[in-house]
Amino acid sequence: MKARHLSIIAKKEFRGLFNERTILLAVLLQLFIALFSSFLMVGLTSMYDPSSLSKYSRYKYNIACTGNDSAMLGYLESSPDFRVYAMDLSTGVAALKERKLSAVIYVPDTSPSADEPIKITLYTLTNDLQSAIVDVKLKDVFLKYEKDLRQIRVDRLSEQPIPIQVPKTTGGGDFYEFVYGLLIPLLVFMPAIIASALVIDLITEEYQHETLETLISTPITFSEMVWGKVLACELLVPIQAGAWLLLLMVNGIAIENAGLILLQVVVSSLILILLGALTALHYRERTAAQFIFSTALVVVILFVLALPSNPLNLLTRLAVGTAGPEQWLVLAATGGIIVILGYLTQKYAERVGKSHHAG
Amino acid sequence: MGRLTDISTIARWEVKKSFTMMSREVLPVAVVLFILLVAVTGFAAQTGMHLQDGMYEVGVDDPEIAQLIASDARFSVYQIDTATLEKNRNAFDLIIIHGQVYGNPTERAKAAQKTFERDYAKYVNTVYNRETDLFAAYPLWIDVQTVKSELTFLSTQSGQYVQAAPSRKAPVPEGEISNVPTPSPALDFTKEELRQELFRTSAKNTQISRYTEVLSSESTMGRFKTPSQLSPPLPFDSIILVFVFIFPLYFTSQFFMMSIMNERIERKGEVLLSTPVASSSIIIGKMLPYFIGMVAICTALTLYVRAPLIIILPLIPVIVFFLANALLIGMLSRSFKELSFISIFFSTVATSYLFFPSIFANVHVISLISPLTLIVLSIQGDPWTITDYLYSTSLFWLTGAVLFYIGMKNFKEERLFSEKPLLPRIREFLSGIMSRRHPFLSVFLLTGFSIPFVFMVQLMSLTLFFNLPMPYSLVLLLIFAALVEECAKAVGIYTLFAQDPSFLTWKNLIAACAATAIGFLVAEKLLLFITLAQITESIFGSILFLSLGVLWMPLLLHFVGVLIVACSLKFWGQKGLVIGLVLATAVHCLYNLYFILGWIG
Repeated sequence: MKARHLSIIAKKEFRGLFNERTILLAVLLQLFIALFSSFLMVGLTSMYDPSSLSKYSRYKYNIACTGNDSAMLGYLESSPDFRVYAMDLSTGVAALKERKLSAVIYVPDTSPSADEPIKITLYTLTNDLQSAIVDVKLKDVFLKYEKDLRQIRVDRLSEQPIPIQVPKTTGGGDFYEFVYGLLIPLLVFMPAIIASALVIDLITEEYQHETLETLISTPITFSEMVWGKVLACELLVPIQAGAWLLLLMVNGIAIENAGLILLQVVVSSLILILLGALTALHYRERTAAQFIFSTALVVVILFVLALPSNPLNLLTRLAVGTAGPEQWLVLAATGGIIVILGYLTQKYAERVGKSHHAG
Repeated sequence: MGRLTDISTIARWEVKKSFTMMSREVLPVAVVLFILLVAVTGFAAQTGMHLQDGMYEVGVDDPEIAQLIASDARFSVYQIDTATLEKNRNAFDLIIIHGQVYGNPTERAKAAQKTFERDYAKYVNTVYNRETDLFAAYPLWIDVQTVKSELTFLSTQSGQYVQAAPSRKAPVPEGEISNVPTPSPALDFTKEELRQELFRTSAKNTQISRYTEVLSSESTMGRFKTPSQLSPPLPFDSIILVFVFIFPLYFTSQFFMMSIMNERIERKGEVLLSTPVASSSIIIGKMLPYFIGMVAICTALTLYVRAPLIIILPLIPVIVFFLANALLIGMLSRSFKELSFISIFFSTVATSYLFFPSIFANVHVISLISPLTLIVLSIQGDPWTITDYLYSTSLFWLTGAVLFYIGMKNFKEERLFSEKPLLPRIREFLSGIMSRRHPFLSVFLLTGFSIPFVFMVQLMSLTLFFNLPMPYSLVLLLIFAALVEECAKAVGIYTLFAQDPSFLTWKNLIAACAATAIGFLVAEKLLLFITLAQITESIFGSILFLSLGVLWMPLLLHFVGVLIVACSLKFWGQKGLVIGLVLATAVHCLYNLYFILGWIG
């Protein structure tokens, strides 16, 4: 196998990608996903943690407290989020319907120490963004009330949970897990999936466009051609994955060990690319190869995710900076699989190449 | 009659072809893979997903607490004696000494603390769930009653507050006060029913709910909750289910795409084209098996998950839309890799359009722009109306139909086997549907039919920008909406110009611009009239579809916009397109700004 031949093939494929401007599409795709996921995050945060948007936190919501006297009124009045009015229920609900109030609360005449629970009725507006925010804010008040009621009834409890005091959080950290534990491993790994789909296209194209004979007649051998295509796809992975990491960092998401992450992605993507190459060599036809490969991909990825300290988990841990020396073990295991797959690909390609030369 | 036979012959031929190709080698492997998939899914369900293991590091001095935390694989727990722990507190995200949690100020530590809080709350709930006196452990229950607002939704739903000015006095309703019955203090469920429900919700610790733990899961008790369960419901389960429906559609449309592409490789489709069968029959015939297959898959899935069968209705326009796009992608791309990238790009964009709005299904009316929201609603058991259906599917029907029309007009030799780059090909396709004898009528129609696409893109930007804080979202939306409209209007003129630059004499130029402006306006008004009244009434809508009031003003605007583009094309040729678009967008923005500022301020 000659390095020069490999680079000729790889260069040819890259030229194809640039000529067709498919690379432009890939970049657009990346930007689009980045845009959408950041927007999605802002949207979800603002909805479920409204205080994160200062605009909402300055606002006081009008609510009515109706029914009987209780400690509830005191809690509501001491909350900075609400302006509380004592009203009668029917008037309150009518004002709510006209949006002069954000919520109406009815408190029954149940004693705090009664056998029965206290059932508070909360009236809010259907299908409304604002009432979703009010709900979140009211929840805090209700939780405080629940805690105190529980304290009043404490004698009736038989078992107490282990007490642990947690300091008050100062906001933030809400979507850390979403970003580092899902978005980053998926985004960084996506180029590997794209590259493995690409290698199938490149190989089956030679068969279906019947350009194979021309290629074989040059000094380049069949297996050199296969490895050249694998090389081209493999080179795309660090470029794309690196672009992702850069985009994320530009977005203000600090990523530790970016270099090690790239190393892991580049190595484990080779497994997928080789699997793709083997499938393509076997079927020689795009529809079948892509179908089988993508189904197999789902199986493989599900299986890998079910294993502890899998490569994807390692990406998460590298990104947050908690990965230990076991990363080298994972890398070695991945390398082992690559050697086996590489050997299989080489043998298969040689066999196919021979039959072509013979035929 | 002959047409039907043609179609059915081609459909049968298509089925036979793909089966002979698939059955020998692919089918056995596919069956094996399917069995493996089931096995792996079972395995994964048992061991759980290990994507986020060991994200956080915690140091604890108490073995009991260490055990409690270690039950969550996201934590790496180190049990160390108190003195060492105090010395090395920066080595951990959290340390717990004598039952007191201390956190680092880093983002990771904050996230760790939040996660720990949720874990702890869950643990506390499991302890309380065991109590014999359930109402001592859960002394407070909230009965949530929703009230329909009598005002139109447009104000608050668009992110504006229309509350009365703050006052010391309680607000007084202006309308009639109807009597609201006093709620009874008694619970509607027995203690054991409530306990079962508490068990059920606390046992729900799937991978998905990790992200939704902030939010509570839907309870079968409906609106009856403990305070900790009180949060707006995120319909995650139904959304995952929806994904199960959409995913096979991608696969099947891929097959259709490939079947079209295969006709073009090495001119294999020449035989088909040389038969006296109309190209529309060929396309319909080739598409039919895939269409039936997709509907069958969806029906089978619906029956399998025991969802109401009515969810097929909103899926059909989605299927048509996918197939129409698959047809064009198959006809446009020059190589397999181009096909892959374009289809990946298309499916990402389509997924975002379909998927993200439906996340807000319970919260915001905007979500109705996606047909998937209707599916989420059906699965939840909420009804939807014919208007809702029209509203969320009409754009899919229309764009699907237009794309099919373009495909049919261009399904001929010189287009299918040409090897030109993507953009010139798209332009060729467009000129394929323009009549040379009636250029102005063509421009009129082309612009008119671009309206559904314009609306689709604009609605997509609406969901995108809706999430931003108010002034930015308005400004971005303003610019983007103007740009999209100007681009759509430029398409017709540009196609005319590319066909024959000498066509654009001053007289023809003015006429073409007028045709474009009128076409745009007529189609815009027509579509708005039918469907989008809901959105147009909100403040976001007012930017997108501002021009509802007087007719001659928007007509003039559209005319001026397209005239700028046309003139710069005439002066600077191809390069003038970008300049013209930028100028036209700027003019359009100024116009919109003037009106909205005049309106709001």
